[in-house]
Amino acid sequence: MDEIAFTFIFLFFLFLFLGTGIWVAISLIGVAAIGMMLFTSRPIGDAMATTIWGASSSWTLTALPLFIWMGEILFRTKLSENLFRGLTPITKKLPGGLLHVNIAGCTIFAAISGSSAATVATVGKMSIPELRERKYPEKMIIGTLAGAGTLGLLIPPSISLIIYGITVNESIAQLFVAGILPGIMLACLFMGYVSIWGLISGTREKKSTAHDQSRFKDVIQLIPVLILICAVMGSIYTGIATATEAAVLGVVGALFLSAVQGSLTWDSFLESLLGATRTSAMIAFILAGSTFLSLAMGFTGLPRSLAEWIGSLELTPWILIFALMIFYIVLGCFLDGISSIVLTMAVIEPLVRQAGFDMIWFGVFLMIVVEMAQITPPIGFNLFVLQSMSDNDMAFIARAAVPMFLIMILAVVIISLFPEIATYLPDAMRERSS
Amino acid sequence: MMPKLSRLDAALNSTYRYCGFAAAFCMVLIALLVCLSIGSRLASVYIPGLTEYSGYTMAAASFLALAYTFHEGGHIRVEILISRLTPKWRRFAEFWCLGVAAFTSVFLAYYIARLAYFSWKFEERSEGADAVLLWKPQLVAVLGAVLLAIAVVHSLVKCIFDKNFQPRR
Repeated sequence: MDEIAFTFIFLFFLFLFLGTGIWVAISLIGVAAIGMMLFTSRPIGDAMATTIWGASSSWTLTALPLFIWMGEILFRTKLSENLFRGLTPITKKLPGGLLHVNIAGCTIFAAISGSSAATVATVGKMSIPELRERKYPEKMIIGTLAGAGTLGLLIPPSISLIIYGITVNESIAQLFVAGILPGIMLACLFMGYVSIWGLISGTREKKSTAHDQSRFKDVIQLIPVLILICAVMGSIYTGIATATEAAVLGVVGALFLSAVQGSLTWDSFLESLLGATRTSAMIAFILAGSTFLSLAMGFTGLPRSLAEWIGSLELTPWILIFALMIFYIVLGCFLDGISSIVLTMAVIEPLVRQAGFDMIWFGVFLMIVVEMAQITPPIGFNLFVLQSMSDNDMAFIARAAVPMFLIMILAVVIISLFPEIATYLPDAMRERSS
Repeated sequence: MMPKLSRLDAALNSTYRYCGFAAAFCMVLIALLVCLSIGSRLASVYIPGLTEYSGYTMAAASFLALAYTFHEGGHIRVEILISRLTPKWRRFAEFWCLGVAAFTSVFLAYYIARLAYFSWKFEERSEGADAVLLWKPQLVAVLGAVLLAIAVVHSLVKCIFDKNFQPRR
């Protein structure tokens, strides 16, 4: 009886701390300490220090700051201009016209940056004003950007996938490789939607725009970036490099690219480095806090009893997936992606393992679901970014993103029907190395 | 008294910044260590303990940047409720947040320091190939954790005395 009361007290503090705006990492540590106080007589402080030190000094973490840094460097280059100019000649013949630039641009940028907010910001910086000038409907400009920007989470390198990999102890390299096909599939679904919309509404790009000259040169400008992407992902897939080593390759390549473009100055270098330092410290602190929370959660017995309870219901996998999807979408209304992953994994992981899901597949599923949460109000990082970039109100942006949201649900259905889309590449990779 | 306090304020702020720079330097060091491990593998030379050193550098980068990131408003929080409060209630909420954060971060700093102290006292060594005395890398973590505690208490004090103060976001 006490156990149940304690569990409620524990959860109460969790919601209280997070809800009242206490910094996420601090909340996790505080709640974990309270949890240990309630459920065990072990020394709290020493367990905390050991856990947090262990979690922060782990070698597997090092891929995180490096991939963040790579994205920060490229974010400060002329990439957003190059993406727009380079993709314009390729996409303008398609029905739906330059709206495809939003999606293709986000897909490419997602492959060099692990953050969806950075993806939206980089692509939107150039495409929002240009597309507005060409009189594309505002709703489509914002909607496609909101949806495609979330690809940053799914397409490797993805910060969220690294965090998931660290929390559940799965190979980051395999998770990255698993994200490739579903990411491309989702991008294709978005483009298909834009094409259908373009056919119905009769929207195409009109001829003779300012960028028509020297289009070949513009397309050429994309090649270095594509080479960088292939080098980073290729070295992981072929097993030449670990995720961390590929990240260093990415940093070096990004520095090289930005030097060639002439946008590498001492200031931009320092800014990218300090930006990466802050983001990485923020995430590492949350990860450390969540490791301590997992330890405390273990003492509460909550994860085990929940897993047993769900197991006893004998749900079909479909219902379980559906329930988890709803759970993460609701959670994502209040928490950002990273927090909702680290916060729930202690409880969800045993449940998912017991239900017999492949953890790599589940990682991909989780990314898509968390992506959906990024574009649902009231809390959605992509909505915030777009709000400040486009001067539209939140409700408008959220409504514009609804079709993209539905497409993502479709994507979840597809990867549940055909899990091979996510597992084929990592399986092939595993077989080759063994 | 006021000039002295504002000088203390400025000194603390620049301490956070310098530790942020030190953390940034550690990030570069991580990249170099990884390069070294790739290089040594290509040359088939074995350098013991490289992965452990990368881990310690990672911890140093994270801990040293904690206070700096806090000062710059880089740690995330859920603002959906408190952003709707009137200024008066908002200040009350910030007071509560900083109070809990101050308590937690002092608690954390104390126990990280205790961990390092016991590692030093019992001469604990890493179980990896490096067999380094653990208190050495842990000392950097202590520095970072203590500085975070100072930064949070610093903000709390400011919140008490300065009506218009709000943690940066």
